[in-house]
Amino acid sequence: MAFNWEDPRPIPKMTVDNQKCNVPLTCKKCLELCPQAVFALITLKYVKYVETNINEPYAYAVRPMHRDKCTGCMECVNACPRDAITVQFGEGEVK
Amino acid sequence: MCQFCMTHGYGKVWYKNAMNYARQMYKLKKHKSSHDHGRDPEGAAALIIAEAVEARGLKPEEFPRLRHMANKVAQEMVAGQVVTLEDAMTMVELASPIALMGCICRKITRGRLEDNEDSYTCMGLGIGMFKWDRWPERYKGGVHFVTVEEAKQWLVKWHNKGMVASLMTHGTPYIGGLCMCDYPDCLAIRYRLDYGINQLFKGEFVAKLDYDKCCGCGTCVERCQFGAIKFEVTIEKTNIDQFRCFGCGVCMTTCPTGAISMVDRKTLPGLREVW
Ligand code: SF4
Ligand code: SF4
Ligand code: SF4
Ligand code: SF4
Repeated sequence: MAFNWEDPRPIPKMTVDNQKCNVPLTCKKCLELCPQAVFALITLKYVKYVETNINEPYAYAVRPMHRDKCTGCMECVNACPRDAITVQFGEGEVK
Repeated sequence: MCQFCMTHGYGKVWYKNAMNYARQMYKLKKHKSSHDHGRDPEGAAALIIAEAVEARGLKPEEFPRLRHMANKVAQEMVAGQVVTLEDAMTMVELASPIALMGCICRKITRGRLEDNEDSYTCMGLGIGMFKWDRWPERYKGGVHFVTVEEAKQWLVKWHNKGMVASLMTHGTPYIGGLCMCDYPDCLAIRYRLDYGINQLFKGEFVAKLDYDKCCGCGTCVERCQFGAIKFEVTIEKTNIDQFRCFGCGVCMTTCPTGAISMVDRKTLPGLREVW
């Protein structure tokens, strides 16, 4: 809880494949279930005065913004219906 | 005195000064250190903060520098401060118009959409509400304007549910928003607690426990979004860490014996410079 960014801790390599997950708001499983709230929804399509359509492919993307908070529980990897997420600690196996 | 009261209060608590809601203040100057990103200045500021946050995991050696920059931009463009329910009530009397909207943080962190009444946890204040179509990813063909009375009922509803009221500037000191926040959905709370980016400042008040009145029921403990309250098991009393307290007053409302009160931060010598 306390602010400790200098505290060294293992940080995973994380990827979200935005080709596989191209309409995240129709799923948003990882956003909802990650206990560490690691993911962020990014708006890619940004046209002034036009409402962004949540069903349009590639209008939004999921990004592992807070990967420094990831515990490696793999809840997101297991839940993702499109196999779009990888989490890798150290040189260990990519899941 | 907090830095905003010092520079923008003119003898008052800054968010009780009607000037900070005035049309003339709504200019949205670009921050000189901000990249353009082709977006509105608040959006650009939010991206600079997000870049710092992501650097904590991607390129930690860059984090201290980016964090410093994020702090500066946050305070100049999108600063926040926790306010008590009572002060939030005063704010909606000063600002006009008032509009309800979905929470942008919760959309980013949890993918929550503006699809039911309970997703409207934020309130836009003032002239910016007439120009809401500038935010296309959130624009819903209009905002939901409410009266002062409706705004107050709405504040009470969310306060009772355990949410923290915090104000937001749109180009400091112009106060353009009043949000109901919790951890970890609220990015401002999270940035402060987890990344040391001080977008959100502590409130003018701080919770104080009356030891003798506390009956040890523990009701207040789960209310604190800042982890300031602990239950001392063997003593059967609550402990409030006033350094961790942000002064939202959410614990006070729930206490059945009236053991918690909110005291002015400035009356405590050890806390009056702690924001
Ligand atoms: S592995 Fe667990 S903690 Fe890490 S991002 Fe996935 S759900 Fe969150
Ligand atoms: S769980 Fe997978 S498909 Fe669903 S939003 Fe997350 S990354 Fe996209
Ligand atoms: S101790 Fe009470 S007033 Fe202070 S932050 Fe926690 S809930 Fe709010
Ligand atoms: S709610 Fe009031 S009486 Fe109950 S533990 Fe908290 S301070 Fe004590």
